[in-house]
Amino acid sequence: MYSSPVLYDQSETIKEKLAFNNKRKKHLIIYDQQALSDVKQALAAESQNDVDYEQFEIDSRNLHDLRALLYSQKMGTHLYIASDWDHAVTVFTEAVEAGFTEDEIQTIIYGPKRRYIYCMKCYQKSEINPEAETVQCVHCDAHMEVGPFFSKVRKGYIGYPFIPN
Amino acid sequence: MFKSTNLDMFTFPFTNFKNKTYRYSNDLVELSGDKVNFMKITPEYKAQIKRKREMLEKQPEVRYQSFPHTMEMQWEFVELLIDLSTAKYPEHFSVEKDGDQWTFTNHILEETEVFTFGDESSIDLEPYDMIGRHFHHDYMLMVNRDDNFYLEVAQESFAALFSPHWNLGMSFDEIHGPVPFVSRDGIDLVDRIRKFLLTIEPGVPRTRVNWNLMADRWDVNYETMDVWGPQREKVTPENAGELVHLRVEEQWFIRMPRSNAILFVLDTQFLPMEDLIKRPEWLEITYFNLADIPDYMAEYKGMAPFLPQTVEYLKNLIDSMKEKDKQEKGEEHFVQ
Ligand code: HEM
Ligand SMILES: [Zn+2]
Repeated sequence: MYSSPVLYDQSETIKEKLAFNNKRKKHLIIYDQQALSDVKQALAAESQNDVDYEQFEIDSRNLHDLRALLYSQKMGTHLYIASDWDHAVTVFTEAVEAGFTEDEIQTIIYGPKRRYIYCMKCYQKSEINPEAETVQCVHCDAHMEVGPFFSKVRKGYIGYPFIPN
Repeated sequence: MFKSTNLDMFTFPFTNFKNKTYRYSNDLVELSGDKVNFMKITPEYKAQIKRKREMLEKQPEVRYQSFPHTMEMQWEFVELLIDLSTAKYPEHFSVEKDGDQWTFTNHILEETEVFTFGDESSIDLEPYDMIGRHFHHDYMLMVNRDDNFYLEVAQESFAALFSPHWNLGMSFDEIHGPVPFVSRDGIDLVDRIRKFLLTIEPGVPRTRVNWNLMADRWDVNYETMDVWGPQREKVTPENAGELVHLRVEEQWFIRMPRSNAILFVLDTQFLPMEDLIKRPEWLEITYFNLADIPDYMAEYKGMAPFLPQTVEYLKNLIDSMKEKDKQEKGEEHFVQ
């Protein structure tokens, strides 16, 4: 789809901690090595409840299986992504492609999140320090103030150009 | 820089704000039958088209954006513009339809567009871009999905913080994110207005007037913020009459019958502050409103750095007008 949801550092899907959504019929948990022990703990805590869980550990070699798994889900499955940023982006993007909406995804990020700015001078995107208030475009050198608005089509925060004093 | 020369055709924005000053509100109103057709050819037509086409040619990425799947909607737009223009101005625009073979003639510019309706390969530009270049308005097509509207085609040449490139694909709510969109009573307007837009039906468009002040510029967009940001500082109470323009957008919201999209049409007009004296009532109402713009609105609209100078200029102009009036009355007395 043209303005499909994307994962960005203030995505509404991002949560601090894995928390199962009890309204859903099935829970699909996709995690990487870093999240392994947390996922095990969360599942153990839920073990007496009679709900359907499926888990899948992602690494760089099983992307094909990941896709097949996401496409094979029926309505009512809630997806939990627990991994570092890059794995999360991969899973999130595949999931949206497979028809998941933001309401059906929970994301727990391990380690730093990435943040991108979209330069309004040269219309190119670049990664920035999440703390930075102003940055210089790596493509065209324009100075930019990091704006609070995000475009799902341009996949970055707006960069307002300014001329430094 | 062109300005409105026929003041009977200028849309004065503050007609509803004579007793209470301007604030954001759901100010959409229905149109009387003769106003439904938004076509308007003013003495500035040729200058407007020349500038619009220059913009589109020099900055195609900035001024025109569309998604590839919008072609059917684009043809619906072509048909609408041709119908409206030929109905209102048969002396300026005409069309011949031979099945799918259409010939549209713009008699003012002495230009002809020949194309196969529904077939993009029969023209060089996209259909929306092609037909839009014959009319001076800006046009945004908002597609209706899941109780919201998404910007999927836009042709723009007079931006007040509007960027087709940046706003492409955004919902009504996302687009209005930067606007401090609250009513006088503090009610959040985005949701309310979006819901109201959902009720607009084909054949019964709505209209509203938006306004801003510009310091010696046609448009301010995010792409050129580094340029116009500092320029605003050069306004003084002495030069404001010439440099500062009242920038008015007369807007139409039209439900497209086939695609169900809402077409947003903007007719942007400019009047320098010094010309307000030609209509003394306008001068006084403008002063009354500008003197009471809250800071958050002045900041958002980008006029904060030159609003005080402009208000001072208007006050001086009113004083001198009244002084002159008094003198003239005095002289009349004397003659009698
Ligand atoms: C449905 C199509 C519409 C589109 C595409 C649209 C687009 C925009 C854009 C791009 C801006 C500038 C945002 C920015 O600062 O980045 C804006 C501002 C604004 N819009 Fe809309 N708009 C639409 C409908 C409406 C309606 C129906 C209303 C009110 C009834 C409205 C009221 C406003 C107001 C008050 C502002 C602030 C402008 C100012 O103070 O100068 N808009 N709009
Ligand atoms: Zn750049």
